[in-house]
Amino acid sequence: MIPRPGIAASADFRPAHLRRAWRVVKEAALSGTVAPVKDDDAITPRRMGKWPWAWACAVWTVAWLLMLGLDRHIGLAQAAITLVLASALAAIWLPTLASLGTTLLAVMAFDWFLVPPKHAFAVDLTEDMLLLAEILILSWVVTGLLARGRVLAARARRSARHADQLRHLGDALRDAEDPLQRGEALRQALQDLLGAPPRLVLLRNETPTPQDDQASTTLGDPSADDLVGLWHCVRLCRQFGPGTGHEQELPALYLPLRGSEDEAFGAAMIAVNPAERIADDVLVQAQALCDQMGQLLHRARTQRQADSAQARAQGQAVRNALLAAISHDYRTPLAAIMGAASSLRDQGAKLAPEQRERLAQSIVAETRQLSRLTDNTLQLVRLDAPGVQLHLDWESPDELVGVAVERARKHHDPERRIKVWAEPGLPLVRCDAVLFSQMLENLIDNALKYSDPPAPVELDVRRHGQHIVFAVRDNGPGIEPQWREKIFEVFQRGDWRSGSSNSAAQRGAGVGLAVCRSIALAHGGELKLRQRSQGGSSFECWLREQEAPRVDEHDPATNRARP
Amino acid sequence: MTLRVLLVEDDRELCRTLKDAMTAEGYEVFTAASLSEAFALLTGLGARPTSGGAPVDLVLLDLGLPDGDGEQLLAALRQKHTVPLIVISARESDGQKVRLLDAGADDYLVKPFSIRELLARMRVGLRHRGTSVSPAVTRYAVGALSVDLGTHEVTLAGADVHLTPTEFNLLARLVRSAGQVVTHRQLLMDVWGAEFTEHTHYLRLYMAQLRGKLEDNPADPRLLMNEPGVGYRIVEPQG
Repeated sequence: MIPRPGIAASADFRPAHLRRAWRVVKEAALSGTVAPVKDDDAITPRRMGKWPWAWACAVWTVAWLLMLGLDRHIGLAQAAITLVLASALAAIWLPTLASLGTTLLAVMAFDWFLVPPKHAFAVDLTEDMLLLAEILILSWVVTGLLARGRVLAARARRSARHADQLRHLGDALRDAEDPLQRGEALRQALQDLLGAPPRLVLLRNETPTPQDDQASTTLGDPSADDLVGLWHCVRLCRQFGPGTGHEQELPALYLPLRGSEDEAFGAAMIAVNPAERIADDVLVQAQALCDQMGQLLHRARTQRQADSAQARAQGQAVRNALLAAISHDYRTPLAAIMGAASSLRDQGAKLAPEQRERLAQSIVAETRQLSRLTDNTLQLVRLDAPGVQLHLDWESPDELVGVAVERARKHHDPERRIKVWAEPGLPLVRCDAVLFSQMLENLIDNALKYSDPPAPVELDVRRHGQHIVFAVRDNGPGIEPQWREKIFEVFQRGDWRSGSSNSAAQRGAGVGLAVCRSIALAHGGELKLRQRSQGGSSFECWLREQEAPRVDEHDPATNRARP
Repeated sequence: MTLRVLLVEDDRELCRTLKDAMTAEGYEVFTAASLSEAFALLTGLGARPTSGGAPVDLVLLDLGLPDGDGEQLLAALRQKHTVPLIVISARESDGQKVRLLDAGADDYLVKPFSIRELLARMRVGLRHRGTSVSPAVTRYAVGALSVDLGTHEVTLAGADVHLTPTEFNLLARLVRSAGQVVTHRQLLMDVWGAEFTEHTHYLRLYMAQLRGKLEDNPADPRLLMNEPGVGYRIVEPQG
């Protein structure tokens, strides 16, 4: 067992059981006079516990009437037994000291009235002397045993109450979403226990070096002085004040909310009267309540730290995978550019003009690829950042489609395979035009890459119930079922359209589809992949239709139109 | 007389490539890697009769300069001259791009761009020189479409097209800057008025009507081009 600091080893050489017995008697002798909260320490049946002094008087009266009245008819021994019986019965109702006192008085009266020579304290016979001593000792032993039983009963009741209290507090704290919000529960528990409203400081994180009232929550309006004491207690992580063995003269009891052996997550102070002694088990209970709160705060902090560490680790893993995927995507066009450019530089003179032209074309095309990759990566990172701001405006679906098609045609569609159709009279959609056309362009580019010419790639927009659906369809080989969800993840790449002879198919979807999904989600929409019945895939962005602002009939331009 | 171009660009490699390409096309190119250098060059060069007194005939301005904002150069330049100015920007600087266009820049190019595209935009810019002084463009023809700004006549493959006055105003505003992007704000301001500059949905609806009347397939426009987030451009006239 680890010696507890604060409890000094006393220079007491009595055997342990004697010491314990002495303490019990001492406690019993003092019981009912000093504990701040009165304990019900009676061991009498409830309905007989109402008038303790009256009961005790009645017992003694009856006993003396018997003893004096039957003096002639009974022997001294019977009278002595009656006295012991009366003393034992009276001890049930009387406090220990009073009981001891009355017994002593009764024995003296017994000597005076009944032991020969009567009406004198002198005793003739040695056996009568012995009898008196035995009566006194026997009565006192009975009183002592009763007192001990009384203390044990009180203690048992108190521990039961304390256990209840701890359990209630534990329940209250366990249900708390933020433990700081449950300081009131601890406050109530301490007040119930000690009788005075406590003041509390609760910390969320590590103890700040200077006293920092921002980092803490206070309860019970502690004054500036109280706060200094509370913070001192937090830092020392030790109880002090009356009854604790440290700074006993203080007018208040300071208790740390211990989360671990040497770290406090707050402190409580309760004003107490230094003259009144706080029972050890009450102090232990108060500390247990405080520690329960401390442990909860500790657990909460540990949980927070674990969560953030996990989030960091996860973020790191995602970033690493993203970087790996992106650098792979960058390498392919870079290699092509490097090859073509170095060939032009080193062998330019030896090459035919057409060859030079082809190399230059390849550099331009691959640079475009790189540029788009950069745009997509930047967009992906931006959309993943918290609190991303879209430049939302009312846009016409025609225009969004038109822009994407124009760009795609300019750069990736030498065979002119793109076919566009938009349902007439579509409403305006609320979106970020730059992002949205980037998404459509990516989808078109993807469709061109993964289906072989001369099969057309169709982009069409139509209304579908409450949604506006932008669909990009190809006539390629389609996507293997096990890849249909994975292709939207940035790190996934693979030969998921193995049927295609298109060399571009070897370059995975990379960032392209991931950014498309991010853009659709950022608009509150959805990007779906559907297999077409006649073969090929349809990537569809579903946007919920919103009511666009009306164009005012009386706008100046219209007025000019109809003078 | 060779035309003078001021190229403000802080990337040395790009600067040299562009200079070589423009020199090969017969332009006289001055380069500046910072705002201060550009200001010094503009003050140092003498006025030129071809550019209405400006020291150069055209300015190419990069947005990310080490010592300040391209807007300062534009503002200083616009106080005296109408010399064409084309903004060269990376895609991230959308907001600034639009601000510069609204402040009087003639056009913009997003990096990376091809030399062919740059030279085409420069030709458009030079052709528009001085349009704010005298409307040089009164007739516009591309493909089957022809527009006469003077008589308000619009014909498509020889047949008259009926446009409402708002539609015509919108078309006319684009035609006056044919080949160049006109920002949403400029269009709303010039066609509807200053209090309508935030009502982009007006623009969307009227552009859709115009496309419906002038384009073969409104979803696949060949004439009225959209620059997402920036504005609109009507394609350059032929010939």
